[in-house]
Amino acid sequence: MPVYLPIAEMSVDALLLLGIGLGVGWLSGLFGVGGGFLLTPLLILIGIPAPVAVASGANQTLGASVSGLIAQWRRGNVDPRMGLVLLVAGLAGSAAGTQLFVLLRRLGQVDLAVSLFYVVVLGTVGALMVRESVRAILRRRHALPARTHQHSWLHGLPFKMRFRKSRLYISVIPPMLVGFGIGILSAIMGVGGGFMLVPAMIYLLGMPTGTTIGTSLFQVTFVSANVTLLQALQTGSVDIVLTLLLLVGGVAGAQFGAAMGTRLRGEETRALLGLLVLSVAARLLWDLLQTPGSLYFLGPAT
Amino acid sequence: MRAPPPAALALLLALAALAPLRAQAQREPPPAPPPPAGPALAAELAQPRIAVDTAFSGADLLVFGATERLLGPAGDNVVVLGIGPGRDVVVRRRVRRLGIWVNGPSAHFRDVPNYYALAATAPVAGLLEEPARRERRLGLDMLTARIPGPRDPEFRNALIELKRGTEQWNEEEAPVEVSGGRLFHARLPLPSTIAPGDYVVQVLLVRANRIIARQELPFRVDRVGATARIANVSRDQPLLYGLACIALAALAGWLGSVIFRRG
Repeated sequence: MPVYLPIAEMSVDALLLLGIGLGVGWLSGLFGVGGGFLLTPLLILIGIPAPVAVASGANQTLGASVSGLIAQWRRGNVDPRMGLVLLVAGLAGSAAGTQLFVLLRRLGQVDLAVSLFYVVVLGTVGALMVRESVRAILRRRHALPARTHQHSWLHGLPFKMRFRKSRLYISVIPPMLVGFGIGILSAIMGVGGGFMLVPAMIYLLGMPTGTTIGTSLFQVTFVSANVTLLQALQTGSVDIVLTLLLLVGGVAGAQFGAAMGTRLRGEETRALLGLLVLSVAARLLWDLLQTPGSLYFLGPAT
Repeated sequence: MRAPPPAALALLLALAALAPLRAQAQREPPPAPPPPAGPALAAELAQPRIAVDTAFSGADLLVFGATERLLGPAGDNVVVLGIGPGRDVVVRRRVRRLGIWVNGPSAHFRDVPNYYALAATAPVAGLLEEPARRERRLGLDMLTARIPGPRDPEFRNALIELKRGTEQWNEEEAPVEVSGGRLFHARLPLPSTIAPGDYVVQVLLVRANRIIARQELPFRVDRVGATARIANVSRDQPLLYGLACIALAALAGWLGSVIFRRG
């Protein structure tokens, strides 16, 4: 069933878009990530122009994460205070990241920089998650004593704040730094940043896995709304028809994913997300290394 | 004598038709006007406007017409050329550095038509000499030779291959069909990625290696209905459009969570 996309200026099979939306939405609900790191490459793969794929991907991420956020909120898995701290720092970080992006473009090779960022960040995050979660699973199997709470230099910082939902009493500085850093990365990579945020909250801030997913969705919702607005204003490449088709599948998928996520143990969820992130990194690395099908490619004049 | 029998026959028929007129003119004093000479070429488009709506998935543009003389291998020939608005493009080449494929040299081409389609009753290279084909941009090699930009043939060939790959450029994929000796029609394929704008179809009549008649048929590609409204709001009121996109996406997400609530 072909449908013409008004901004992308091309015709695509609507069922294909529904299927992509369903799959990405399911992962989004299951892992609490927006799915932008999966969706944008998939859309480019089916022939959507890259700027439209990035902008509409952010718009779709917004809808899917609202759906996931409501589901998580009902289960009491959102820490709004932590979410707000991360969000404020994240918006500041994405503003800084946009400047860095402009600088990279001036130096040329922005595509390469983005690809390398993806491979390095996704590869590192994925490998760390898989390693940690496999250890946690093994520890549970062998009934080893778990080190739940470690005190480090992070706990000596000032401006302590109580995050009741996360059962944390820590300085506000580490969440600010995490939010800011991920804001920079998400602006350069054109993604919401949930796949980086979830592990950062678990490993750097020591939040329980259950709360990280809801809180990450909280942050992703607002970051993707910001990106959607900026893209509509600056590039005019948000395709609402594409977004809504992806969302029809996406919201259904996100609900199933969220329901399934509550049945999985935290470390199992982390291991699966880690494997997913690693496989995307491997795919992107392969694209950088293998000889391309066509040595030439076409772009609009800048 | 290379004169073809059908053309000679046509000439005889024409003379025969004129003969009684002359006889009449001798009898009556006021001289009858000479019979109006039909145009050598008359062509038309089936649709002068291509409407792009939400169900658009590409179209064929039908170009049809008739000629005064017979069309055929030894007679006249018709060449149909469709061309779209120009846009600047950059062709880049990937090169391998330290085992990684990175962007290498690039070539900037100005005013590259976003659409090009060529069809003819016979291979165009055999109908016209190179200077004439170059002037009229008949053939992708002739088209790219005239586009301003670097002279490197490598990038020009890459441009042709890339544009053909997206089906935005094509040449002589299907011939112009002839029926009854003088009627012709051609279908120019318009891909679903065709951009809105002003296009033109040129129909050329070729006789003995020369273009003897030419007709220009403009057509428009327009977005209509919901497609047009969305594109217009996005362009004219980006802030409103962006806020609407946010609201619609959030609404869709909320609806989804309400519908699937029971679990």
